[in-house]
Amino acid sequence: MTEPGDSPVIQTFDLRKRYRKTTAVDGISFRVDAGQVFGFLGPNGAGKTTTIGLLLGIISPTAGRFELFGGSSARDLHSARRRMGATLETPNFYPYLSGRDNLRIVAGVKHRDRAEIERVLDLVGLGRRAKQKFKAYSLGMKQRLALAATMLGDPELIILDEPANGLDPEGMREIREIIRGLAERGKTIFLSSHMLWEVERTCTHVAIIQNGRIVRQQSVADVTSHGVAGLRAADPAALAAAVAEYPAARWVRQRGDRVVAELEDGDLAALNAWLARRGVHLSYLALEARSLEDVFMEATGVGESAPAATDALPGNVRHRLGEVP
Amino acid sequence: MILRALRAEMLKLWKRPATWVTVGLFTLITFADVLDDYRDALKDPEVSFFLPEAWSRILGEEVMIGFIFASVLVILLVAAEFSWRTARQNVIDGLSKTQWYWAKVLLLPVVAALFLVLRVVVGGSFALAGTDLSSGRAVMGGPQFAALGGMYLTGLGYACLALFVSAAVRSSGPAMAVWFAWFAFGERLLVGGLGSLFQGLRPALKWAPVSTFNRLNDYLRYDPEALRQAVEWATRHDRPVPQVEALGPAVAGTALWIAALLLTGWWSYRRRDL
Repeated sequence: MTEPGDSPVIQTFDLRKRYRKTTAVDGISFRVDAGQVFGFLGPNGAGKTTTIGLLLGIISPTAGRFELFGGSSARDLHSARRRMGATLETPNFYPYLSGRDNLRIVAGVKHRDRAEIERVLDLVGLGRRAKQKFKAYSLGMKQRLALAATMLGDPELIILDEPANGLDPEGMREIREIIRGLAERGKTIFLSSHMLWEVERTCTHVAIIQNGRIVRQQSVADVTSHGVAGLRAADPAALAAAVAEYPAARWVRQRGDRVVAELEDGDLAALNAWLARRGVHLSYLALEARSLEDVFMEATGVGESAPAATDALPGNVRHRLGEVP
Repeated sequence: MILRALRAEMLKLWKRPATWVTVGLFTLITFADVLDDYRDALKDPEVSFFLPEAWSRILGEEVMIGFIFASVLVILLVAAEFSWRTARQNVIDGLSKTQWYWAKVLLLPVVAALFLVLRVVVGGSFALAGTDLSSGRAVMGGPQFAALGGMYLTGLGYACLALFVSAAVRSSGPAMAVWFAWFAFGERLLVGGLGSLFQGLRPALKWAPVSTFNRLNDYLRYDPEALRQAVEWATRHDRPVPQVEALGPAVAGTALWIAALLLTGWWSYRRRDL
């Protein structure tokens, strides 16, 4: 078993994939070390699935290269894929075969025996439904079967693309527990998901991709360790504009009736006094933990409501209102 | 690895309902066809339906129906893997693209043999019922084995064409439509069109894939006694005398087409993303 942080399991170097008129992946470079649970985030169409497809060898890169377990030749990548388990998009199985027979196909490819099929079926709670045909499975059962197939062969690297898609809260919790269990056993997990809340609770590191480019990559601990100031006043737009002029404000966002800002010094009392001198009186002011969702919104601009009446503000202030820290 | 892949293909073939639907339909059609031949034999004293003479009818042109069924089954087995994305998942799970494709190629001899054997078993059983086994004559000899070999090659050719279309089109319905269009009229239209435009090409155009495969699907090529009887019958009834061409070029042509279709299919499959 590899120790966390001792070697890169995945490393990409200026990886690109261009289709006729679109660039799906635009020169991305990132590194996933052994033992990390790496969240790969991005809005729809950002290039997540294409990136995973490149790593899995089902899509050929237009330029750039990548290494799996330190190897990059065709032979290295083929043998590296034997050390991996992965699902891409929806669970892909033969609809006319039972869950168990589908795993027999996968086990044949991975050189695993029948006992291991039963082990992974039990692990995902499908042992008693294994005789049922795949086409009769609910979406949750299909996702679990995909996870079981991924775990066949006890892979060192597990790549999961939206594993909780379509699951109810209980199903999501179960999937999260399974992923945590794998992480505790020292597996390296590369997890693509829309579910930021899930990723924040599961992952150790994240990369955010937008328009085919990595716009942020850091550890989840770094992301959430920086606090942000949450503010409320009678006129949120005026408050946002005022905070944007505050010299220690790195960035400012208006979210509905609330304003969020990151301060260089974290000094809330100084901010309060500065705003009061300008006639802005706060009804709420607190240091809040920054969530992964905040970081995602900042990095991608997805789901942001634009600050009101910013056109009238000076250029440097407008810039700060929309700035990505 | 390739043996494991073949075992997986056999599991899919065995468990796929389409296999049993095509096998069932073909058995019914063959049964009806052979029953018809048997009735003809009862009515007409010039027609016999016992072995080994009945092989000329059992292994007649109708064998091709089996190859159509074989092609349909190959398309259903291969093209559907792209729609279900299992072709992609197999590669994600650890098969190389090359292994995936050649596992499908290994399936073709099995499917081609399945429908030829069905024809032989259903037809042979009927004819065997009326055969006097105490006469000491062999019910199957060299000419029949040669015919089975040649026709098996025809079946392989059809199955390879189906695999090629499946790998290129990657969806069962459209692949089936393309295959049938080529088989029913596409090749004839293309050959006719090119032949009228470029007269010098006509001799080469006779070797278009389906035409080449069908050259081996003529029982009289393999059985000199059956050929002699057919010529006699045609002369007596003032009908065109059957002509047979040399076997070698037809075997070589079919083998070349099989190799070309497999390699082109492989190239087409490998160069595209899954």
